[in-house]
Amino acid sequence: MTYIGEHLWAGELGRLSVSIAFASALLAIFAFWRAEKESSWTKIANTAFFIHALSIFSIVGTLFFMMANHYFEYDYVWKHTSLTLPPRYLFSAFWEGQEGSFLLWMFWHAVLGLVILRSKNKWRGPVLGVVALVQAFLVSMIMGIYPFGIKIGQSPFILIREIPENIGAPWTQFSDYLTRFPNFMDGSGLNPLLQNYWMTIHPPTLFLGFASTLIPFAFAIAALLRRDYKGWIKPVLPWAFFSVMILGTGILMGGAWAYEALSFGGFWAWDPVENSSLVPWLTLVAAAHLILIQKNRGGVLPSALFMSIITFLLVLYSTFLTRSGVLGDTSVHAFVDLGLSGQLLLYLLFFVIASFGLLLWRYKQIPKPAQEESMDSREFWVFIASMVFLLSSLQITISTSMEVFNKLFGPEGALFTLYDHNKTIAEPISHYNAFQVPFAIILTGLVAVGQFLTYRKTSLQLFYKKLALSSILALTLTVVIAIYFDMQHPVYLFLLFTSSFAIIANIDYWLRVGRGQAGVAGSSIAHIGFGMVILGALIANANKQIISENNTFIHEEFPSSENLLIEQDDTVKMGDYWVTYTGESVGTGAESHYTYYNLGFYQENEQGKLEPKFSLAPSIQHNERMGNVAEPSTKHYLHKDIYTHVTYADLRTEEEKNSEWKDEYTFSIMPGDSHLVYNAFTVTLDSVVADYIRDADGNEMEYIVVAARLRLSHLADTVIYASPLYIVQNDKAQTMDVVFDEYGTKIQFAGIDFETELPTFKVFRKKPEEKPFIIIQTMIFPLINILWLGCVLMAVGTIIAIWQRIRPAKSPAV
Amino acid sequence: MKKTHIVLIIFIAVLIGALLTMFKDAGTYATFSMAEEYAGEPFTVIGFLDKDAEMHFNARKNLFSFTAIDKSGKKTKVYYNQPKPQDFERSEEITMKGFATDTAFIAEEILMKCPSKYNEQNQIAGNENSYTE
Repeated sequence: MTYIGEHLWAGELGRLSVSIAFASALLAIFAFWRAEKESSWTKIANTAFFIHALSIFSIVGTLFFMMANHYFEYDYVWKHTSLTLPPRYLFSAFWEGQEGSFLLWMFWHAVLGLVILRSKNKWRGPVLGVVALVQAFLVSMIMGIYPFGIKIGQSPFILIREIPENIGAPWTQFSDYLTRFPNFMDGSGLNPLLQNYWMTIHPPTLFLGFASTLIPFAFAIAALLRRDYKGWIKPVLPWAFFSVMILGTGILMGGAWAYEALSFGGFWAWDPVENSSLVPWLTLVAAAHLILIQKNRGGVLPSALFMSIITFLLVLYSTFLTRSGVLGDTSVHAFVDLGLSGQLLLYLLFFVIASFGLLLWRYKQIPKPAQEESMDSREFWVFIASMVFLLSSLQITISTSMEVFNKLFGPEGALFTLYDHNKTIAEPISHYNAFQVPFAIILTGLVAVGQFLTYRKTSLQLFYKKLALSSILALTLTVVIAIYFDMQHPVYLFLLFTSSFAIIANIDYWLRVGRGQAGVAGSSIAHIGFGMVILGALIANANKQIISENNTFIHEEFPSSENLLIEQDDTVKMGDYWVTYTGESVGTGAESHYTYYNLGFYQENEQGKLEPKFSLAPSIQHNERMGNVAEPSTKHYLHKDIYTHVTYADLRTEEEKNSEWKDEYTFSIMPGDSHLVYNAFTVTLDSVVADYIRDADGNEMEYIVVAARLRLSHLADTVIYASPLYIVQNDKAQTMDVVFDEYGTKIQFAGIDFETELPTFKVFRKKPEEKPFIIIQTMIFPLINILWLGCVLMAVGTIIAIWQRIRPAKSPAV
Repeated sequence: MKKTHIVLIIFIAVLIGALLTMFKDAGTYATFSMAEEYAGEPFTVIGFLDKDAEMHFNARKNLFSFTAIDKSGKKTKVYYNQPKPQDFERSEEITMKGFATDTAFIAEEILMKCPSKYNEQNQIAGNENSYTE
């Protein structure tokens, strides 16, 4: 059958591009391998890689075109876009699904590969060979073929009617199914949580970060393969720091998104998905610094290789965690399982075994330092710091992998039963902090003193003298902050000191020792930034103040609620503020599916009068399909943020609220009798009359109307007469109820009771109108801007440092 | 003893510490019966909403109560002193972290799994009515 209205060419083009991308990647691997011995292969290899990159772009372009033009016959387009989706969210829609995010990842690999292809570096061949190998695996993730009944990959170019469960479905019998059935006329649209500007820039940045970790990995593998253990260090250095910068920015953008758009009250929650992006960054920072030390001083080759390799493996592992469906129960934003976990696991195991195997095999040949570094050398402490980074990342990895352990062992496990039940980290935040805070103390401490240590051997006397000033300043700052915020927790105080120390010591180093020179600017600024991120996170989180407290006592075992109810036009006190809720409003234009709850914040001035300070409008995004989503609203001051989100609001429409009849009450009475209803009315049945209408021939009864003559007396005063009707038409019964607006009551003639043969009535009433209210949660994050400024400084500092490295490299010696 | 070895020993010690802490901090996915057996201890119960039973949210007291059915089929009253989560009725699965008392389960945190859109397309395919004219 030929189907009408399908754009089959797009799918064909897409699949063709996937096939070419896969084939050219395989050819490139082979050719780069041969080119190591015979340089005549180099040209073939480069061309194959170039074709591979072009076909990746072609896949991306085709899919994007299909989404932009609403080809809803395609499953991926149908699932992730809709006609009403604003074009600016098309990118978010593109990488909402697994297939698209794999494509985004491959896209960046291809782009980075092309940059290396252009570089004419002598490491180009083997590095691109490794890139091509990874790409071949990734392309197979979107192939969507079923050789021997085994599913390999999930194609984004599959038609809805080609999905296995739809094959043979009745609608596939219609050649014009696309125009016949309304379901196919519009897609199901993008998850409202992702309809946010952060989601347009966070995933591509994060994936560029993930992709960039491949370069140090590829260099390390190339070095091991070539047995050239030192040559890779210099060309890989800028790449390693580029990766640190991009991946770090990507992670923090994710935090910013969570803070701005999600209502979980913070920027970091140790969510498994967040963790799995942080973990490779930690080892990446270690790798980059070890590479730097190796270049300047040498002696850390094994650990530099190890860190470069494990970083990429951790990226693969986090891909596995987030995409295999393993985390389904514990994380809200893991991907849905596409039945590819087996394939992912296989790839992960391949790369783990192959790369660690290679490292172990070559380990004896790797040059190691003849003597140990002395304890007062910079390289020794960078080595210690990198070990702490590794520990930090392993601790997070192990705890995040709880779900994997559950899958492996236990009652439903794959292997055998070790425990009798599945486990999960009960209190993730305190669990992770117990380890990560001490790690952060060590690392910020090392960041503070690291720059003052010199290579080989430091004169300790000079070292202490140089650090004296900044340590005194840092101590003063710590005391001031601790007193101001009344911080007492000793571990936090320690971290407060080390992170302040890191900031001040690096400023000092930059200005006093480095004399503001450009050469030290990059690293100093980046280290200042790191200190500020930790300091900002510590101050904002440790002193996070929830001001929306509800002191209603329910039970001593119940913690007092951190949510506060506000009625419309009421004013309540929250912390230093008086807050009024002035009512709700509906968004305009593209935001018409938002309801905003308008809050005014006031503060008492010296005269004791309330002065308007600012207003916030937290919102709820209505979404029939995905559920409604609350979005916070935040007032940003330089020194603090006031963050508010709606935790409960009555979302019924005005009509739904009013049409609700409650307190249904049924009674049966004989004509002439009375009945007391709600202790407020007496209902007396005067008589029951019936009438019927025959059809045109005068034979069959077309309908029967039974009317009850009721008298309703409201205690002593008024008497109202009412005639509710009971109508039978074509064997179907209907009622016509009588509503007494002034009493908010409705009476219904519900028919004749079969057993007692008595007329039966139902009365309903409306509850007295409740004042509209919302429940909100409000918290203050003090000095959170230190965190964001620190993020910017880290990125800027790293860029300066990279630029300092690349600039002299413009001369021929690469 | 070389310094590297000392570093390595400390490294491994911390790692073992991390593993042990993980098992110490690990709560348990349990059933209501298990939670009741060890009343007062933290448990994580996965279940679903009993849609026939009464669900009540007292906004003034900020107390939400409902009946949940765990995976073994046991029904238990659950109290949650947070606002009623949005779309609670639509949830497919509820993860409740909290502890049991002798009469009810007190949830301190509730996570819901809502029907994802991935199921929605299957409904088109499976539901006869959706594509008849």
